[in-house]
Amino acid sequence: MFLNDDFVRRMRRNGMAMAGLGIVVVLFCVAIFANQLSPYPPSHIDTTNILAPPTWSHPLGTDVLGRDVLSRMIHGAGVSLSVGFVAVGISTLIGMILGAVSGYYGGLMDRIVMRFVDVMLCFPSFFLILAVIAFVGPSIWNIMIVIGVTSWMGVARLVRAEFLSIRERDFVQAAISQGARDGRIIFLHILPNALAPVLVAATLGIASAVLIESGLSFLGIGVQPPDPSWGNMLTEGKDNIEIAWWLSVYPGMAILTTVMGYNMLGEGIRDSLDPRLRR
Amino acid sequence: MRINKNLFVIIMIILGFLAGCNDKSAQTENPVKGHETKEPTPVPAAESKPAYGDMIIIGSIGDASVLLPVLASDSASGDINGLIYNGLVRYDRDINLIGELAEKWEISEDKLTIRFFLKKDVKWHDGKPFTSKDVEYTYKVYVDPKTPTAYSTDFLRVKEFRVLDDYTLEVVYEKPYAPALGSWGQGMLPRHLLEGVDITESPLKRNPVGTGPYRFKDWTTGEKIILDSFHDYFDGRPYIDRVMTRIIPDLATMFLELKALSLDQMGLTPLQYVRQTDTKWFKDNFNKYKYLGFGYSYLGYNLQDWKFRDQRVRQALTTAINRESIVQGVLLGLGTVTDTPYKPDSFWYNQNVTKFPYDPEKAKEMLAEAGWKDTDGDGILDKDGKPFEFTIITNHGNDIRKNAATIIQRDLKKVGVEVKIRVIEWAAFLKNFINKRNFEACLLGWGIGVDPNQIDIWNSKKTGENELNFVNFQNPEVDRLLDLGASTYDKEERKKYYDRFQEIIAEEQPYTFLFVQYSLPTINSRFHGIEPAPIGIGYNFVKWYVPKALQKYTIQP
Repeated sequence: MFLNDDFVRRMRRNGMAMAGLGIVVVLFCVAIFANQLSPYPPSHIDTTNILAPPTWSHPLGTDVLGRDVLSRMIHGAGVSLSVGFVAVGISTLIGMILGAVSGYYGGLMDRIVMRFVDVMLCFPSFFLILAVIAFVGPSIWNIMIVIGVTSWMGVARLVRAEFLSIRERDFVQAAISQGARDGRIIFLHILPNALAPVLVAATLGIASAVLIESGLSFLGIGVQPPDPSWGNMLTEGKDNIEIAWWLSVYPGMAILTTVMGYNMLGEGIRDSLDPRLRR
Repeated sequence: MRINKNLFVIIMIILGFLAGCNDKSAQTENPVKGHETKEPTPVPAAESKPAYGDMIIIGSIGDASVLLPVLASDSASGDINGLIYNGLVRYDRDINLIGELAEKWEISEDKLTIRFFLKKDVKWHDGKPFTSKDVEYTYKVYVDPKTPTAYSTDFLRVKEFRVLDDYTLEVVYEKPYAPALGSWGQGMLPRHLLEGVDITESPLKRNPVGTGPYRFKDWTTGEKIILDSFHDYFDGRPYIDRVMTRIIPDLATMFLELKALSLDQMGLTPLQYVRQTDTKWFKDNFNKYKYLGFGYSYLGYNLQDWKFRDQRVRQALTTAINRESIVQGVLLGLGTVTDTPYKPDSFWYNQNVTKFPYDPEKAKEMLAEAGWKDTDGDGILDKDGKPFEFTIITNHGNDIRKNAATIIQRDLKKVGVEVKIRVIEWAAFLKNFINKRNFEACLLGWGIGVDPNQIDIWNSKKTGENELNFVNFQNPEVDRLLDLGASTYDKEERKKYYDRFQEIIAEEQPYTFLFVQYSLPTINSRFHGIEPAPIGIGYNFVKWYVPKALQKYTIQP
């Protein structure tokens, strides 16, 4: 396994990675304790106090229906994280299975799977997602699934590459010569040794899933109102950007911070695993 | 009547059929008193005389669909068609019927026959004279069952159509029909270009020829429609040489364009009206207008759904909804709560109907009486083991409706009713949900016509697919009252029938009537001659002008 002492030591020395990890941990806490942290319920409407600028009672101001922006952002964190994790979970699972099959068996199977990957990569992924959502209808579950099934190609290629090299190693050959079944070799012998790049890809994948979810919600075909999501908060902000900057700036910063956090963490993990950077 | 997709952005250039009732609240925020106060450079009074020239650029959020009034049922097409076509009659500034293509008319003693005398100097845009043959052709197109039109009802009442000579014609009705005269305000079509052609295939759909003040010039789909003034217009050449309608599907973008002075006219949102247009610069460059719009918004219940069959439940839901807070919070006060399907400031509106003011405690009692109680303690009312949950559907792109639905959701939650909101793209919304009756409750709007006739919406038989009584409202007395109202010419007597009709509607609450919004058009202040009236501002569009010294664009014909 890759989670050895050396990895942990190098992660600790990597300031960027630890900052990213910090952001992610904080986001998790915010998402989990959303109900305790938010000063108001996220859909608490106060029509007498709409578009109020930030004050002590509403630290980040209120929106067009007088709802507290801070509370909505806190609840939006959970939406963003769950979309990120479920979508990446789906894409990683698909990518690992197809990559493993392709890399382990090689030959015709490999060629079919890899050409399929090429085909999928030909579509600009955001527009592919738009098209699929237009068919299945927007909802938080559909978004998770659609993002998942349209972003597994990178993982598949990584896993295949790892399999191609690990398959030739002595311990795998030993397992084969002892008559172990394919499933056992793939899942117990090779896959654990191929997980490092997958972990990096998944971490970076969460960042991109959060971004895609925000983009879809911004266009009105993501998370549906009145559920708060940073993306649809941004849409509402856009219409009033001249009179209520806080509607756009704070959700925008939340998206930026989250995406940056996952990216820094992902990069950090990759650097810590890279033997060429070992000193 | 047409389903009003975006009440608040209808730019009322020409009101024609959509025009409304007796509106006393029309007013301008910044009445034009003289140039000195409005323009940075003073203009001598002699220079402010009406002059030909210049162009007005109008913002529209939707593109027109078809430029033949018989086929068009969306407001974007209606606005353009209003400038290209004329009817025999139209409504003037005080909402009285006056002749347009008709010089005058005579109604027989028995109210069964109307004889129209047409104006003799009217020309089509291609130079051909307009005659009663064109009216006859138009009538035949409207009543042809093969024509997919939303406006055939009034014309189907005609028993006989007689052409007496080129400029005289007679229409005979089976029984007296009060909306008859007004129905001849529908746009007249050119027989010499359309006869013998399948109207749905005609090139005039995108290249119209009418008798109106503006003739078609160019249409770039999804971008702009250009109309040029018709110099031979029977009522005199319009002052403004060109009307360009720019299609900008986003109101925030449209407002930015307006402030960049690349638009001259748009309908403001309440937020823009209240919070974004109070600057000195804006007041120097634009005039804002405000009058009660010709349409209302409502929450309609599908009466075939078992939850909404009980009248007490519908009354309770209305009682539970804080409509005043919707007007204050969503419309920022730029609207008024209504209790019946008429404009609250109009002659036909009945003030004395049963009202259900906001009272959540009372609403809970009313629901309990109807059998809805929270027996399992989950905060949601239930009956026969089923929780009181339903989905409100509304169309995409109308933030006012979306926000109103959100407030309704909150209000109903307080009395233990769980509401979900679903926002659906307009075409799919009509096709898959409204027309198929596939909904529990819908948040929508109706345009309010000048004539009080509302048979199409409330008659028990108008419940077929694509027909307008999609909530399936059934009441024999209402059917009878609406028929009586439609066949009575005397205004006072007629009002009695509609008063009673409103009492029944208010009692039964097939809709929760929500509000009537103000129309909030804003127009660049270089345009003069705009006189807000009960009917709005668009009625005298051909008399709007830009003084020579202020003209911005030079139009090459």
